[in-house]
Amino acid sequence: MVKVKSFSALRVAAVCWRVMRQISRDRRTLAMMLIMPAVIMLIFGFALGGQVEHIPVLVENQDAGYTLPATAGGESFHYGDALLTSLKTDDRVAVHEGDYFSKTAVDKGTYFAAIDVPANFSQILAMKSDGQNLNATIIVYVDSTSPTTEASVIGALQTALQMSLGSSGVTVDEQFAFGGTQFSGLDVSLPAIIAFVLTFLVLLISLIIVSREGTSGTLPRLYTTPLSAMERLLGYALALLALGVLMVAVVLAICIGIFGVVVEGSFALLFGVAVLYALVHVFLAIFLSNFAKNELQAVQLAPLIALPSMALSGMLIPVSSFPDWVEGIAHFVPMYYGVELFQGVMLKGYSVGQLSFELGVVTLMAVIFLALAAITVKDRITA
Amino acid sequence: MGMMVARDRSNIERTAEATGEYAIETSELVKVYKEGQIKALNGLDLKIHRGEIYALIGANGSGKSTAINLITGSIFPTSGSIRVLGYEVPQKRHLVATQIGVAPQEYAIYNDLSVEQNIWFFARLQGMNRTQLEKRMAELLPIFRLDERRKTSANELSGGMKRRLSVVCALIHRPKILFLDEATVGIDPVLREFFWDYFRALCGEGLTIVVTSHVMDEAERADRVGLMREGKLIEEGTPGEVKCRHSVESIEEVFIKLSKGVVIDG
Repeated sequence: MVKVKSFSALRVAAVCWRVMRQISRDRRTLAMMLIMPAVIMLIFGFALGGQVEHIPVLVENQDAGYTLPATAGGESFHYGDALLTSLKTDDRVAVHEGDYFSKTAVDKGTYFAAIDVPANFSQILAMKSDGQNLNATIIVYVDSTSPTTEASVIGALQTALQMSLGSSGVTVDEQFAFGGTQFSGLDVSLPAIIAFVLTFLVLLISLIIVSREGTSGTLPRLYTTPLSAMERLLGYALALLALGVLMVAVVLAICIGIFGVVVEGSFALLFGVAVLYALVHVFLAIFLSNFAKNELQAVQLAPLIALPSMALSGMLIPVSSFPDWVEGIAHFVPMYYGVELFQGVMLKGYSVGQLSFELGVVTLMAVIFLALAAITVKDRITA
Repeated sequence: MGMMVARDRSNIERTAEATGEYAIETSELVKVYKEGQIKALNGLDLKIHRGEIYALIGANGSGKSTAINLITGSIFPTSGSIRVLGYEVPQKRHLVATQIGVAPQEYAIYNDLSVEQNIWFFARLQGMNRTQLEKRMAELLPIFRLDERRKTSANELSGGMKRRLSVVCALIHRPKILFLDEATVGIDPVLREFFWDYFRALCGEGLTIVVTSHVMDEAERADRVGLMREGKLIEEGTPGEVKCRHSVESIEEVFIKLSKGVVIDG
C-alpha cells in the first residue's frame, strides 16, 4: 500500500515555489512591489521630515515707541521693533509687514495669521514696568484650520516676546478666522479624509470594474459590435460616476450625521465639489486601466497613487513647508486641490468664486484625464 | 441532409447599400504581427457565398482566428482587401457591425449578469428595444434550451449553457452573417444535432454562417470547407469534392494529409 504523508514539507515548498514563480513572471507586479514601498517611504520622509517653516504671517507694527519724561530719565523704548526683529529671525514664520486691517488676506489664504502690535504697546509696557496695572495686548488673527500651523505661529510669537521683552506679561488675543470658531481636530481632519477616501476608493473600484472587461474575454466581442471605443468609455464613466456619487453621499452622511461636522459653506457646493473630485478619479482610473494587464495590477495602482498623494496633499503638514521641489510636485496632485476644496467649503465657508482657481484646476485635470483616456482607449485587438 | 444543398438564391435578402455577390470576399489578405516576425496571413483569398455554411478549418496557428478578426474588423490588415456584404472593411466596419454576430471561442459573456441581462446588453448595443427583445428571446431561448434559465446568473451555468448563451447573444439582432468560433465545443451530441438543423434552417432564410473548428465532423456538415495552412487557403470545396480529390473517407483524413509537416504549436 502506498503511504501518503499527512503533511509534506515538499508539498508546502512546491506551493511556495509556484507562488514565487508566478510573482516573478509578472514583472509589473514585481516592480510595483519593490518600487512602491521605496516611493512611498521617500515621499512620506520628505513630506513629514521637514519642519513646518516659513509660514506667511502679516505683521503690522503700529508701536509709536515711548520716551519717558525727562524727569524720569528720558529713556526711549521701542518694544514693537524689538519684537518684530526677533520674530523675523524665527524660521517658523515668514514675516510680511503690512496693514493689519488687510487681515481679510488670512480669510483668502494668503497669510496664515495677521498680528497687530498696537500703537501704545511700548507706552503700556513702560508704564507697567513703572508699577501701573496695565496690560499690553497683541491681536493675532489666525487661521485655525491647520492646528500644526496655528501652533507654530503662536509658538514663534511667544518665543519672540520672550526674547525681546523677557517675561513681562503681554496678552496674546487670539482671534480665529472664518467665523471665529476654533475648529476641533476632527473638524480639520475630515475634509482631508474625505479627499483621501474618495481618491482611494473611486480609483480602486473604477480600476477593478474597467479592467474586468479586459479579463472576461468580452472585449474582443465588443469590437465586433457597433459600440465605439468612445461610447464604451463614456458608459464606464457614467456608471462609475453614479457609484462615485453614492460613495460621496455615504461619506458626507457619516461626517455630518454621525460626527456632526460643521459645513460653513453651501452643502450643495460641497456635494458638487465631491462629485467633480470623484469624476477626476474615474477618468484617471479609465486611463490607467490601459496599463494594467490584469485585475491584480489594476488594483495595485490605487494605493500607488493614493498614498503618495496623501503625503503630498498637505493633509499631514502644509505644502508650503515642503522643500521647494516637493512643493512643485504637490501642485500636480489632484488631492492637493481636493483638500483645499473640501477645507474651503467645510471650514472656511468659501463660495464658488473664492474656490474658482481650485475648481478650475480640478476641472482641467478631469478634462486632461478624459482626453488621455480617449486617446489610449483601444477600439480593436492589438497584437 | 445532402452534402450539396441546392439553394434558391432569390430569397436572399439584400439591403440597398450592401450589394455584391459574396457575403465575404477577401483578396491578397496579409497580416503581419510584431514588426514582420510573424506572418499570420499570407495572401488569403476567401469567397463565401450568401446563405452558405462555410467551415474554415486548419491547425492551431494556421491563421483562422486572424482571418475572422480581420473580417469582423477587430484587427487591421497589413495589406489586401476585405469586403463584407459589399462593404469595405475596416473602413465601413461600423456598418458591418450591425449585420454580423460573433460567438467567440471564449464564452465572452458577463459572468455576473443573468442570462437575460447578457442578452439585453448585446441587444441594446444593436439598438433593439424591449419589445423586440422579448419577441426575439421568446423565439431563441426555447431553441437553445435556456428558457428555464432566464434569471440564472451566467457564472452558475455549465460550459455548454454558456456556449449556448454566447450564440444567442450573437443571433439576437438577426445578423446576416454569423461567426461561430469553435462554438459547438462542449455542447452534447443530441443538442448539437439540433443546432445544426436550426442553423441549416436559418441559412434557408439567408443567413451566412462561418464556422471555424478543428473538430472535423463539423466541417462535414458545412456546404463548403476551406482548409488553411500557414496563412493561406490550401484546399477548398464541398466536403464531397474535397474528400473525392484526396481519395479519402473523411475530412479528418484530408486535414491530416494536408497538415503533415506543419509544426502544430497549439
